[in-house]
Amino acid sequence: MKTEFAFNDPSQDATGSVLHEEHLKRVSPSRLAPFAGYLMPLWFSSIQEEHQAVRNTAGLFDCTHMGVLSLQGPDAQGFINTVSTNQVGNIVDGQAQYGYLLNADGAVLDDIIVYKRADTDFLMVVNAGNAAKIKTWFKGLLADDYVIDRADPNRSVPFKPVIEDLCPTSDNGLVDIALQGPSSMALVAQLFDGEKDTLAALKPFRFIEGSLNGLACVISRTGYTGSAMGFELLVNPKEARALWSLLLDKGNPMGILPCGLGARDSLRIQGGLPLYGHELAGHYNITPFEAGYGWAVKLDKEVFIGKTAVIKNKAQATHQVIRVALPGGKGIRPVREQDPVLDAQGACRGWILSSAAAQDQQIALAYVNKALSEQGTPVSVYYLARSQGQIKKGRLKCATEQEFVKPDLEGQIVSRFEKF
Amino acid sequence: MIEKDLLYTKEHEWVKITGNTAILGITHHAQEMLGDVTFVELPEVGADLAPHDQISVIESSKAASDVYCPVNGTVTETNDTLDAQPELINESCYKDGWICKLDIKDPSEADSLMTAAQYETFLKEEEQ
Repeated sequence: MKTEFAFNDPSQDATGSVLHEEHLKRVSPSRLAPFAGYLMPLWFSSIQEEHQAVRNTAGLFDCTHMGVLSLQGPDAQGFINTVSTNQVGNIVDGQAQYGYLLNADGAVLDDIIVYKRADTDFLMVVNAGNAAKIKTWFKGLLADDYVIDRADPNRSVPFKPVIEDLCPTSDNGLVDIALQGPSSMALVAQLFDGEKDTLAALKPFRFIEGSLNGLACVISRTGYTGSAMGFELLVNPKEARALWSLLLDKGNPMGILPCGLGARDSLRIQGGLPLYGHELAGHYNITPFEAGYGWAVKLDKEVFIGKTAVIKNKAQATHQVIRVALPGGKGIRPVREQDPVLDAQGACRGWILSSAAAQDQQIALAYVNKALSEQGTPVSVYYLARSQGQIKKGRLKCATEQEFVKPDLEGQIVSRFEKF
Repeated sequence: MIEKDLLYTKEHEWVKITGNTAILGITHHAQEMLGDVTFVELPEVGADLAPHDQISVIESSKAASDVYCPVNGTVTETNDTLDAQPELINESCYKDGWICKLDIKDPSEADSLMTAAQYETFLKEEEQ
């Protein structure tokens, strides 16, 4: 008898990442905030300065809290193709692929990147906040514990690869350090121990396994900042501090800065990239199609978990994620999550999901009715009450679709994504 | 980064009391937790406030934080420079980044606030 998959994250005290000692050299402990069980720096210098460094030179990010799994054996590809929406058969050795893990009801469990090292050897990087959930999900799938198909509750995943958690405390561990921005190629090339041409020829979503100044790592042209150039470096946790220091020392003359969670968020918002819990799943239970990532869901694949539900979701979806540019800078109140997004008549057609300051603008991602989708369409935002005092003054605490409210800030829809 | 001659609240506001006038702002610790301040909602001059009433909302790119009135009083003046230069909260939280002045009814209410030494101990306890 199979059970429904449910996961309650046990609350745990946050601990420092493998780079904790490095961070304490640069920021006071009060600057560290708990995030997915780790104490992570919110910013080192300032969010804006770090954001601009990534756009103009490069920035270094501690992503060592991300979950990294190894999937090996003849069943690895079949397993990944069953749990992920994308077609892993389409990628070659040394290539990475974005995709989604869905549950039997088509709800997003996580967005992932799969790295193909060989036909029987894959890595999967999952979100820090979802790592424990995904490990539980996979363990249960290997043991045939969970319902994966509503039409056939006895169905199991027939593939049983060897799955290993490459967490920071494991001997074989791999942790992610991201170097993002236009100068990142020059810095990695300077430190790369192999043929420079191989590195220069590395295309987006391709990776090589080599070393930087003797530190072995997976060097991948991937990232989460909207930068056209950037790397994620997967390194053994024991060598993570050495790699972090090396990149900061050698990057310093180039203007490369360490970056915290704040800039990571503002950069990904500016680039239009979704964050699990905001533009995926979350309050509005957003699906990949609504988020603008239908291409990563291969409906022509015979089987993947959640396929029936996601086809239905696609047909019934009334809303989608858009990117909006609004006035920003000094003296302009920032928009926040759940603030209503209004059409030209002042009717609420959706809500803000995430927002960030970008010089004299605010860039926001919003979940709105498909009637509001064309680039250049004027939209406005109403500030919901954020304190008891504002409620007393008559500010609304929430607004429902089609409710008319008075606009506070006027902007427009911009392209869904932007590359820098 | 604590000023010796000011009084403090557990919500990380500072108060300077001279006679029946109180000047209010947020502490170095508070501005550091907020990050780059982009907007300050100032109270209305003439507003009568009681302890724990919201007096201001300070917003950074990452958070909106309420500022509470520590004493009974009436707002007499607000720092309107903050409309154009909200970053003064970060750059000069104890001087140019003051938020408002209050005419206070009972200066002895100051006894309920923390001294600089008490606030320093409070901060250390909070960090642990």
